[in-house]
Amino acid sequence: MSQIPNLENAPINLTAIRARAQAELEIILKNVRGDKCLVIDPKLSGSLSLLVQSSELKKHGAELRHLTAEPIQTDRTKVVYLVRAQVDLIKFICSHIHNDTSKGLHREYYLYFVPRRAVACEKILEEEKVHELLNIGEFPLYMIPLDEDVLSFELDLAQKEYLVDGDATSLWHIAKAIHNLEFSFGVIPNVRAKGKAATRVADILNRMQAEEPVNTSDMGIPEINTLVLLDREVDMVTPMCSQLTYEGLLDEFLGVNNGAVELDASIMGVQQEGKKIKVPLNSSDKLFKEIRDLNFEVVVQVLRQKATTMKQDYTEISTTSQSVSELKDFVKKLNSLPEMTRHINLAQHLSTFTSKPSFLGKLDMEQTLVEAQSYDICFDYIEEMIHKQEPLVNVLRLLILFSVTNSGLPKKNFDYLRRELLHSYGFEHIATLNNLEKAGLFRKQDSRSNWLTIKRALQLVVEDTDTTNPNDISYVFSGYAPLSIRLVQQAIRSGWRPIEEILRLLPGPHSEIKRVQICVMQFSVLIKYCILHYSRLADGRRSLVLVVFIGGVTFAEISALRFLCSQEGMAYDLIVGTTKIVNGQTLIETFVEKLG
Amino acid sequence: MAGVAVAAEWQLLYNRYYRKPELYQMQWKNVDLTRNKIACAPFGGPIAVIRDDAKIVQLYAESALRKLRIFTSSGRLISETVWKNPGGRLIGMSWTDDLTLICITQDGTVYSYNIHAELVSTFSLGKECFDNSVVECVFWGNGVVCINEAFEIFAVPDFKVPKTVKLADCNLEELPHCIAVIEPQYTKSGDVEVLVGVGDHVLLVEEDLVQPLAEEMGPFQKMVVSRKGEFVASFTHDGRLLVLSTDFSEVIIEYACESALPPEQLAWCGLDSVLLYWDDMLLMVGPFGDPVRYIYDEPIILIPECDGVRILSNTSMEFLHRVPDSTVSIFQIGSTLPAALLYDALEHFDRRSAKADENLRLIRSSLPEAVEACIDAAGYEFDISQQRTLLRAASYGQTFSSHFQRDSIQEMCKTLRVLNAVRHVEIGIPLSIQQYKLLTPSVLINRLINAHKHLLALRISEYLGMNQEVVLMHWTCTKISASAAIPDSSLLEILLDKLKLCKGISYAAVAAHADKSGRRKLAAMLVEHEPRSSKQIPLLLSIGEEDTALMKATESGDTDLIYLVLFHIWRKRAPLEFFSTIQARTLARDLFVTYARSYKHEFLKDFFLSTGQLQDVAFLLWKESWELAKNPMASKGSPLHGPRIKLIEKAHNLFTETKEHMFESKAAEEHAKLLRIQHELEVTTKQAIFVDSSISDTIRTCIVLGNHRAANKVKTEFKVSEKRWYWLKVFALATIRDWDALEKFSKEKRPPIGYRPFVEACVDAGEKDQALKYIPKLADPRERAEAYAKIGMAKEAADAASQAKDGELLGRLKLTFAQNAAAASIFDTLRDRLSFQGVS
Repeated sequence: MSQIPNLENAPINLTAIRARAQAELEIILKNVRGDKCLVIDPKLSGSLSLLVQSSELKKHGAELRHLTAEPIQTDRTKVVYLVRAQVDLIKFICSHIHNDTSKGLHREYYLYFVPRRAVACEKILEEEKVHELLNIGEFPLYMIPLDEDVLSFELDLAQKEYLVDGDATSLWHIAKAIHNLEFSFGVIPNVRAKGKAATRVADILNRMQAEEPVNTSDMGIPEINTLVLLDREVDMVTPMCSQLTYEGLLDEFLGVNNGAVELDASIMGVQQEGKKIKVPLNSSDKLFKEIRDLNFEVVVQVLRQKATTMKQDYTEISTTSQSVSELKDFVKKLNSLPEMTRHINLAQHLSTFTSKPSFLGKLDMEQTLVEAQSYDICFDYIEEMIHKQEPLVNVLRLLILFSVTNSGLPKKNFDYLRRELLHSYGFEHIATLNNLEKAGLFRKQDSRSNWLTIKRALQLVVEDTDTTNPNDISYVFSGYAPLSIRLVQQAIRSGWRPIEEILRLLPGPHSEIKRVQICVMQFSVLIKYCILHYSRLADGRRSLVLVVFIGGVTFAEISALRFLCSQEGMAYDLIVGTTKIVNGQTLIETFVEKLG
Repeated sequence: MAGVAVAAEWQLLYNRYYRKPELYQMQWKNVDLTRNKIACAPFGGPIAVIRDDAKIVQLYAESALRKLRIFTSSGRLISETVWKNPGGRLIGMSWTDDLTLICITQDGTVYSYNIHAELVSTFSLGKECFDNSVVECVFWGNGVVCINEAFEIFAVPDFKVPKTVKLADCNLEELPHCIAVIEPQYTKSGDVEVLVGVGDHVLLVEEDLVQPLAEEMGPFQKMVVSRKGEFVASFTHDGRLLVLSTDFSEVIIEYACESALPPEQLAWCGLDSVLLYWDDMLLMVGPFGDPVRYIYDEPIILIPECDGVRILSNTSMEFLHRVPDSTVSIFQIGSTLPAALLYDALEHFDRRSAKADENLRLIRSSLPEAVEACIDAAGYEFDISQQRTLLRAASYGQTFSSHFQRDSIQEMCKTLRVLNAVRHVEIGIPLSIQQYKLLTPSVLINRLINAHKHLLALRISEYLGMNQEVVLMHWTCTKISASAAIPDSSLLEILLDKLKLCKGISYAAVAAHADKSGRRKLAAMLVEHEPRSSKQIPLLLSIGEEDTALMKATESGDTDLIYLVLFHIWRKRAPLEFFSTIQARTLARDLFVTYARSYKHEFLKDFFLSTGQLQDVAFLLWKESWELAKNPMASKGSPLHGPRIKLIEKAHNLFTETKEHMFESKAAEEHAKLLRIQHELEVTTKQAIFVDSSISDTIRTCIVLGNHRAANKVKTEFKVSEKRWYWLKVFALATIRDWDALEKFSKEKRPPIGYRPFVEACVDAGEKDQALKYIPKLADPRERAEAYAKIGMAKEAADAASQAKDGELLGRLKLTFAQNAAAASIFDTLRDRLSFQGVS
């Protein structure tokens, strides 16, 4: 199975989007004739693994290297850099070239910016006097399909950059990506946004339509009906909670990167000492598609049941005489064996984590924090974690949950915990604390907390959640319904109006825009629209909603959205766009900055 | 029959008819072709005329200064200018494909004029041409080949790139009889090939190769290559016309002329025949049959076109071309082909004669081809009424024919309307339909706008459904250049009125032109209307509207544009002014800070100081203190601790000054103190393990090293709480497995947070027995129960839980025990069930 997902079942033609990106990359590689050394920045290289196999790249005579501070070792005379437009990466390139020049090496350098050239980066190239030596180009990769219903803009630092540095580059990037989608699928008529960044993206998107309009009359019916833009800032509670779906847990404990987990070969039953293997995880794997969104408890049951039936079939086969067609059926089922084995291995590995008392204790504490009714217990728990010097990110995860649900902490407690943190983990973390404070994640209390009102109004805590046969999205956190998804639910069902009161209690403004006025449409187009609309309903295709999370989304939230889609009476298909797939840990890590 | 009159003007050359309708009566007065050097552009292009300085002519009532005059093909004056260029005689003059007039003088200077007789550029062919005068030039589409007095041959392959290439030396001793050129686009090498007629043969000269051809076939007095370079027509010294393939291997036509005197002009008429012109006779020679003779009593100039030759005389312009097959089929005398009958039918119909029906009946089955032929023939006509009649015939036939592509009449009407419009004597571009198709409508429109025929160009592009942007843009720019006297605001109105015709037109490009024409204010007003920020902002910068640019860039949300503006202002303004500009704009400021943080550290400090953000300066200093530590010098010993601490203290002071950053100030102070203590510890213990660890870690390390006094000192120095102290010390003792010390510590006094740390430390270290020392001391029976459970003592756990009278806890414990066992077994059984697998 490949790490590059199969996109045939996607509700819009994602294959074409990916094919375009692949073709563009190929052109770049062909443009630089002959043998070359292709230097890719490591994060981009991860993203590219969802686009092309590295063997494909090598076909074009490219030798692959990762971009680091170290000078590259190659005897090729042509060096092609493929990097995201980031200042630190550009500084590496400058030092490489200086290093070559000082050794008297003359090479041809090509620099391709992803997704586009950046003035700030080129300024550095100029100041370092290497601009003249480079042939500069662009690789306009604004998004990559992660799966048949998930698109990633691959902006892992988006939230930190916007909230802490005030750098809004990612917002333009997101708007551009959506606008590009509109060139393929038509102008999205309804846009609903919540959060400062989200409303800004909606603005920029509108400007782009004004500056470079997608021709509405040529396109006919837009394939995407509604765009919901949501800031991660609006709901920082959800990512701080431990995800309890199968895919979510895999990410929490093993780290899913670019649609694959990497783990010891021994876990997957391959006896090779110390070797790591990559296990791709996407919906090309039928079994995974079936179980990825289930609560982990249920996954164990499902796997057990499947194993049982298979055992039965096997006994039947070996004991009674079977017709050829029955044998064929059985062999067909056998084909799913590798998938079964793969997921049994993974699930078993996961359960070694989930059965630990410390994990259960943590879940307990998360529950208490979300309920937000026992301040002292929470405070003491976190204080003790600091004193025990538990891993910093784990502490921050609960601390952020604590601060967010309380609209910050009273000054005394805030200063106390900060001091204890600095004493325990070192003064270099003053920068991390500063970042968290700027981002509003761990801060001084300045008003009464609204969390209880929000929780009640949106029914975030659901008693008696049935994880086996769920009837609500709360199953993904065994009782907590993610705030973000509750908002999406509202946005799709009835727009913002009915919950405006609640929206005001959450950070950032909200907006709701209708973009194509029907009256502007020509009559004939209108007729076509109606006919198509009905025929679409008739042939079972449903309207499509694009939900974009600015600042990242967790697997559990995606699972909750897929659950919503599968509900009866739901008239929409959903497709998720995100700056990056995150979990509490990866999200916090973007804010951690050691001064040292 | 009307057809007879038409065909009467045709000449038969073997089996083909030729005709030469008059296109124009020349509108000019007193132009004598013999007195002048003339350059005519193909595709009905303009005619440049200048008095020939190689001839001795009598001056009438005119200035002695020569004038370069440019006419349309109909002889209307477009422009003129006085020729005052130095450089000796004018050797060559020709139009390029994009209608630039190239004039080459004796000293090798190349002057380029536009159609308005304005000098656009000059360059020199090089020193060799300067030293040894240029003698002859042969032009093609965009290039020239010339030979100088030293018999060296040079080429300019493309006038857009003013570069001269010297071709291979062919050791000539005298001026060649003739020179012809094969255009680069039709040669194998892609470079120009020159045919030079010397002695009794021809030399093929390339950049680095000379190759003799056609030995003993000559001498050739004149040569001319066909349009696509397939054939060469030549005139030999003994009066023969030879048409050869360009490699001279095959003779296609050989015709002996009456005169051995070489013709003044030799030209291809399409690909079918060759024209030779002597003083008063024009001879047309085809592959077979007798040639056709035309007599002229005035001088003429042959202008080769793709489908014929235009013949310019002092008074008229004619177009000699082969009569197309469709026209022949209609007008040939005695033709009974369907097309002729259809044409005839229309005449009868117009005369209300029943014969019309009879004709139609005769050709019913082949009606579509007859209609097609009429449409086609209409296309070749220059006479509008003739076009109309033919189209009417087609339309008449079409009504009786059901399977006909109805679009083609419409298409043809459209094309003809365009052609008639440009053929009009005022415009003077006599394009034939084939020339038009070869030239393409967009090039035609470009030619029109270059000749400042904007309205016609606009109408045509609108009529053909083409983008009008090109025309409007050119008009606007021309208008701006030509309207120096009109005030900005009224000119703006005039321009906007026209520009709004075209959606998506680039206002920025117009504004850029206004700026170049020195109308900065107009540019500013225009750029306001540009919707695309990426186009608008660079322009705003170039016209010095930095503040507007910054505002627009911020609005656009495109951070790259903001950076563009930022760097521009940064370069232009003094630091303090720059700081105050960006301080007012949050996004710009934040982006500047982000950039400077990673690349212009010191400058950033200046910025923060100037804006009074002392705390940010403090953070920068603090960060520097760690960078000092990273310096390899630091690891070697103490000297750098001093500067580090100084930096941190500076940061501390700055924090204090702001008054709002007491926490940071305190932290910096403590950090400095910690570094001092750690440094001392490293000196006393002689182990470099303290610096840059945290306070808690320092305490742990001290305890692990057994240095309890130091640990206590750190504790008091930093007012470490008893709670933290107990956790730290317990864990540290457990790390070195000093269980006795741990027990002693537990007995020092009643631990402020109970015995849980002791239990946890022992459990974590796997010391069940040690743990049992403390578990009973746990005050809360629940904690006790859980602790027992952790070390697997189910019974004790259950006892404790029941003591707590907590049913829920009891249940949970039971579950944990059950689950742990179960969880482990579940997967074991799963594996067993799949044990038949051969696959893994």
